[in-house]
Parts: sequence; C-alpha cells; structure tokens
Amino acid sequence: MKRNAVVIAAVVIAVGLMVWAGVLNYRHRQQQEAAVKQLQSMMAQPAAPSDGSSDAGADGSSAGFGGFMEHPLQGKMAPNFTLKDTEGRKISLADYKGKAVIVDFWATWCAPCKIEIPWLEQFNKQYASEGLQILGVSEDNLNLDNKTELAKEKQEIADKAKDLGINYPVLIDDANVSTPYGGVDGLPTTFFIDRSGKVVASTVGLAGRDEIEANIKKALGSGGQS
Amino acid sequence: MKRLWWGALALLLAASFAAAQKLPWQKSERPQDVRYLFPEQVSVPAGEDSVVELHFRINPGMHINSHTPSEKGLIATNLILPDGSGIKLDKVEFPQGSEYSLRAMPSMKLSVYTGDFVVRAHIRATSGQHLVQAALRYQACDVNACYPPRKAPVVVDVIAK
Repeated sequence: MKRNAVVIAAVVIAVGLMVWAGVLNYRHRQQQEAAVKQLQSMMAQPAAPSDGSSDAGADGSSAGFGGFMEHPLQGKMAPNFTLKDTEGRKISLADYKGKAVIVDFWATWCAPCKIEIPWLEQFNKQYASEGLQILGVSEDNLNLDNKTELAKEKQEIADKAKDLGINYPVLIDDANVSTPYGGVDGLPTTFFIDRSGKVVASTVGLAGRDEIEANIKKALGSGGQS
Repeated sequence: MKRLWWGALALLLAASFAAAQKLPWQKSERPQDVRYLFPEQVSVPAGEDSVVELHFRINPGMHINSHTPSEKGLIATNLILPDGSGIKLDKVEFPQGSEYSLRAMPSMKLSVYTGDFVVRAHIRATSGQHLVQAALRYQACDVNACYPPRKAPVVVDVIAK
C-alpha cells in the first residue's frame, strides 16, 4: 500500500514536471517568435525621407540595422576556423593574429552582399597598410556528397567572386564554420575582429558604408598594435 | 528491485525534461517566409489537363525572387512536385515579378514577389484520390538581408474522376 502511494506520487511529480517543462518551452518559443516578428517589423519600416539623416541613401550611409542589436560574440574572442579559399589554399583566422580582420559571410545569391562587397574591397585597399585583412566566407549550399557537383559549385563561387572584383581571400564554408558565429542566417553578416582576436563589432544585413568604416577603425584601433 | 525502479524513474524524468527544453545551443529554425494558403482539395477530370491555382502569401516586409530573377545567380521561385504522386505536372505559370530596388543601390532592379501571389499549375491526374505533397522553393530577403533558400510545403488533395 505504502509502496503504491510512493509510485503514484512519483508518477504525479513526473507528469507535473513534464507539463511544467512543456509550458516553459511553449513560453520560450512564443518569446522567440515575438522577437522575430519585432525584428521583421523593424526592418520593414518604410524609408525615411532621403535627407541623409537615416537609412541608406545612394551613398549607402548608415543603411544597416546592425546597430540595433548586439551580437552574443561581441567582446568575445572570435572562434577560430580553417577553410580552403577558392584557390585551394588553407587559411586560418589564427594566421592573421596582430591584424584587424573582417570576416564577411556572404553568398552568390545574396543581393545586398553585392552592394557591400565593393565597399569592402575599397576598404581592403585603403586600410591594408594599417593592418586590415578581409576574409569573405561563402555560405552557398554545397553538395558535399557529389564531387562533380561540389567542384562545379566551388567554381561558381570563384567566378562570382571574380565578377564582384574581390581581391581578398574568399573561403568556402564546407565545414559549417558559421555555427560558432551564431549560425549565420541573414546575409551579409559581418564580424569586425581587433588585433587581439576579439570581436569588437558585427552587423547583420547590409550595413551603411559609414558604419562599416567606423567598425574597421574600431577594429584597427584596439587590441594592440602589430 | 526498488533501486531499479527509482533509477528508471529518474531516467524517465531526465529524458522527458531534456526533450521538452530548448537547449541554449540549439538554434530554432526561422519561420517560413512564404505560406501556402489554398486550395486544400481540388476535383479535376481524370486524365485531362486541368489548371489548379495555388495561392501563396509572403510575410510582410519580405520579398522573394520571382520565377525569372533579373540577375544571374539569384535563386528563382519554383514549384517542385515529387515523382510518383499520381500527378503529372505539365506546365507551371508564375506571375510576373514586380520591380524592387534596395535603397542602397536604386540602380539594381530586382524582379520579386511580395504579399499574395498565385501560381497556376497545369496538372494531369490519373483516376483516384492523390495527396500531393509539393513544395515551393524560394529565397527570401528583407530590406537589408537575404536568407538561405527554403521549401514551403504545398499539400493538395487531388480527386480525379
């Protein structure tokens, strides 16, 4: 009799815990959905009058929404990665210790990336002597199980990089290196890493040219000189 | 025996709790940007060419490339019908895209769909009832960012008599 009571109590507790966990999970999902909706509505705001005071003008100044949110990696060491570039060379983030590094996640199908990349290329030339290194990381889907398809896809990325006039290394993400960067979803997503390897800024979506330059200066100016 | 009971109970509790919780490193999937609206069921003459109008809705603030994107390399919207569904997809008519430009580059004209749109699928079904599980492949963007291509499920019960 006593044993039965204990078993019944245990079952009741177990069921109660499961219900509680379910409620917590449901609330968590609701909060996430609300956050996504809020984010989408923020991004869907109509354009402000083109007086250059807000949003992107033709010069691309202060276009991004990156300034609204702080990425969880902000202030933390950038996760290291090693990937091959479009020429087949192995490149690690750690190779650039002492330099300010921009890690730009992009894809060939991403229209805003085509706007941002020429700006990055200009900054690459402008700030290279001060110790800036840009790394483009392609997030294009890859058919890893089919060697012929994979080679074709890699060539397409290389061709697109050439079309866009990219002179900095373009790495092919065949190892999900975007995951430790928060599972990059919206493209372009750009991380600004200082000379000590710490993430000092990041932008999700097309940021303004001025914002990108300000972040580059921030990365160049902190973490010690090379 | 008693210990075994308690051990099993503890295991059950731990497993159920872990299954119900979203762990911090588990990223939740982004909700779909395109939803299939209707029809859920259609009746068509068996063996004959029939047009089924499929209605879709794109989330506010989002756009997707049209079936004929203006730039090479952009991912076109397409209807995918798996083989063996008892339905033959002869032709798909997509609406014309509307022109869209990113504010940072007004000269870049994109061909996109926004809001609601209708795809006309020309099908031929064998006699009987077929649960067609098709998908709309699309690639969505908002005003600043683009998101990886996705497939929105399109489920239609086709009754061919």
